[in-house]
Amino acid sequence: MGDSGPLDGIRVLDFCWIGAGALVTKALAELGADVIRVESRTRPDNLRVTPPFRPGTEGGLEASGYFASRNPGKRSFALNMRHPDARAIALDLAGRCDIMTSNFRPGVMERWGMSYEEVKAVNEAIIYLVMPMQGSDGPHAGFIGFGSTIAALSGLVHLSGVPERVPVGTGTHYPDHVPNPGHALVGLLAAIFHRSRTGEGQIVELSQFESTVNVIGPAVIAESAGIPVERDGDRMAGVSPRRAFATADGAWVVIACATDEQRKALASTLDLDSLADRDDADGIVADAVAGFAAEDLLMTLGAAGVPAERVNSSRDVLTDRRLVERGFWYDVDHPVIGTMPMFRLPFRWEGSRVSKPARPPLLGEHTWEVASSLLGMDREEFDRLTAEGVLE
Amino acid sequence: MPEPGRALAGVRVLDLADAYGAYASRLLSDLGAEVLRIEGLGAPDPIWPAPTRGHVDLGALFVNAGKAVLHADSVTEADLEALVGASDVVIEAAGRLDGVGFDRERVAVLNPDLVRVTVSPFGGSEPEDGPVDDLLVLAAGGLMHLGGYRDLGPMGAWGGQSAMAASIFGAVAALIGLISGRSTFDVSAQESVAQALEDSVAEFALVGIVRDRRGESPREAGTGTFHCSDGYVSMVAGRLGTARAWSGLVAWLTEEGAPGAEVLSDEQWSDFHHRRTPAAIDMFTGIFEAFAESRSKESLYRDAQERGIALSPVNDMASVLADRQLAERGFFVEVEDEELGPVVYPGPPYRLSASPVLSPLPMRAADRDAVAAFIRAERGDG
Repeated sequence: MGDSGPLDGIRVLDFCWIGAGALVTKALAELGADVIRVESRTRPDNLRVTPPFRPGTEGGLEASGYFASRNPGKRSFALNMRHPDARAIALDLAGRCDIMTSNFRPGVMERWGMSYEEVKAVNEAIIYLVMPMQGSDGPHAGFIGFGSTIAALSGLVHLSGVPERVPVGTGTHYPDHVPNPGHALVGLLAAIFHRSRTGEGQIVELSQFESTVNVIGPAVIAESAGIPVERDGDRMAGVSPRRAFATADGAWVVIACATDEQRKALASTLDLDSLADRDDADGIVADAVAGFAAEDLLMTLGAAGVPAERVNSSRDVLTDRRLVERGFWYDVDHPVIGTMPMFRLPFRWEGSRVSKPARPPLLGEHTWEVASSLLGMDREEFDRLTAEGVLE
Repeated sequence: MPEPGRALAGVRVLDLADAYGAYASRLLSDLGAEVLRIEGLGAPDPIWPAPTRGHVDLGALFVNAGKAVLHADSVTEADLEALVGASDVVIEAAGRLDGVGFDRERVAVLNPDLVRVTVSPFGGSEPEDGPVDDLLVLAAGGLMHLGGYRDLGPMGAWGGQSAMAASIFGAVAALIGLISGRSTFDVSAQESVAQALEDSVAEFALVGIVRDRRGESPREAGTGTFHCSDGYVSMVAGRLGTARAWSGLVAWLTEEGAPGAEVLSDEQWSDFHHRRTPAAIDMFTGIFEAFAESRSKESLYRDAQERGIALSPVNDMASVLADRQLAERGFFVEVEDEELGPVVYPGPPYRLSASPVLSPLPMRAADRDAVAAFIRAERGDG
């Protein structure tokens, strides 16, 4: 919890797990909201047992760096929703929250008696985010998927790669990381703004499929207008070269020249004849670049006004000057994992660099804290519910 | 209080963004904000990373839908003063207002309540020398390192994703400003891309392994892109898959009599460590692609989903436009474009039950009357 974040005073009951949903509530926590994550020890978030693990810490539910990276700043409340007595506690919590979030398949929240209508009955103004893969209705509403399969369904994979080979997309579950949590945040924040002006709550439904189609929106328009769009590597009309080149020290550098002036500067920097009208310009540049170390090349190209960037690896991003200077990374100390870098939202506002979200929670770390302070539960009842397996 | 309806009814947004921020104000427009976009204010036209037809830029059509757009040539300094004063939100490329004589102090005097969101390739308020190519930002943000082919090198994703990512967070920032009264936000496209590095930074920090692009080779058996009779399908039935996905996949292949599938029932295959070995990955790919060779994307999609296996077709754009689920949900919106005729836009990325999101409308050329109306309109913030 931040102490002066822009969403201070907003409380979130968070049923999200795994990918896209967890990033939505990570952002809300960073913005100062009190995010209470409902977790189960009987059926824990799969990410809690997913690598990477620091060597020697494997096993158990607290060692996953994957889980940690998506959950800083949240409180963990261990509640077994499959227990018949869990619903009353969840509804009590929902009554004290502004937002409820989940990213299960349609039907799961309903099975737990936590549908929008049921929550609304105890909290008229609740903002209720759902993130079903293909929407809450329609013939494929029950279909399942992950970021990479959603990217495939939406057309993004087909368009990314070279024509004669298997399309490779981004090589990640990209829709889970930006398009879907990002769009969900926009919808959710719009609903918060609406509520601040009208007092009215609502359902925000993000179909992960429909959200992802939007980030390739121009391809939809093109297809409908009969303009062919196919994958073509990194080629783009008018920009040449435009691709990554391997350097002498095993790194890669992107060079993208949009003007003749830049191409001339590139040629002269690399001591090449003019690159104009050369079909094999990419090959000539590749051969020349292969003789430079990346750092030297970037310095030389930068000084000559040639647009170039290192293809930053997961190691490079941690030391990239701009990211470091802007405070993009911050370390947390975790009792099992040790020190680990966390990433911030991609923007700063006044005071945002001072606050630092709390380390990711241990499973159930805040169950007593939330039960006692928010629900007014006494120790005796807490112990009874724990013994009965309702609280975990 | 404004009429209930659109979430951002009555909110006025002045759009001085380049490609990195233009989709931000598009999102605000769909939520009901009135958006006036001025192009060419002390800067050349942006590069839109998408296909063109003649002089029609489809990237611009998409991200500027719903906005009133005019060129800086038809805006006087007095107009700009009034527009800044009348706006609730400005979304701009770095240094856009500053570059035409509207420094921070002047803007603060004109409009102390203004929410200012700067969206730029690398953050900060200093303008770049010229337009920054999306590929450079995908590289600097780290996503490109994970994409592409092993033999061909790192490769970017289609469609200017660094700009889409930065714009989405630009809209997030603008809404936070409206909600909280915070006034200044600085969005970095590089950092927006760096949201998408999956577990790779954690893996380096905890294990010391620098993840490299995997290209066509999947991370483990049961997951990846596979060839079938009419294209490719994408599947996740490994470590991240649901508990029953792998066993369901083995049962499916076995029941259908896929040649060689019986080996997958051997004990060692239930251990994901085994399924991550190159030999296991190769063997599974061979078995699955032999099975899929006589089956279409659609039939594999249907049969896998019936069994709770996360498999999707790798759709081309024609298949996306023909998708049954999207059609049933009324997702696509036909828009009459002056130059292209009838074209199809994707519908909104989310649905709000009480404050419905607008379907995309074509962008429109604004005139002086539109400027005057923007300035005169009732303030939206209640």
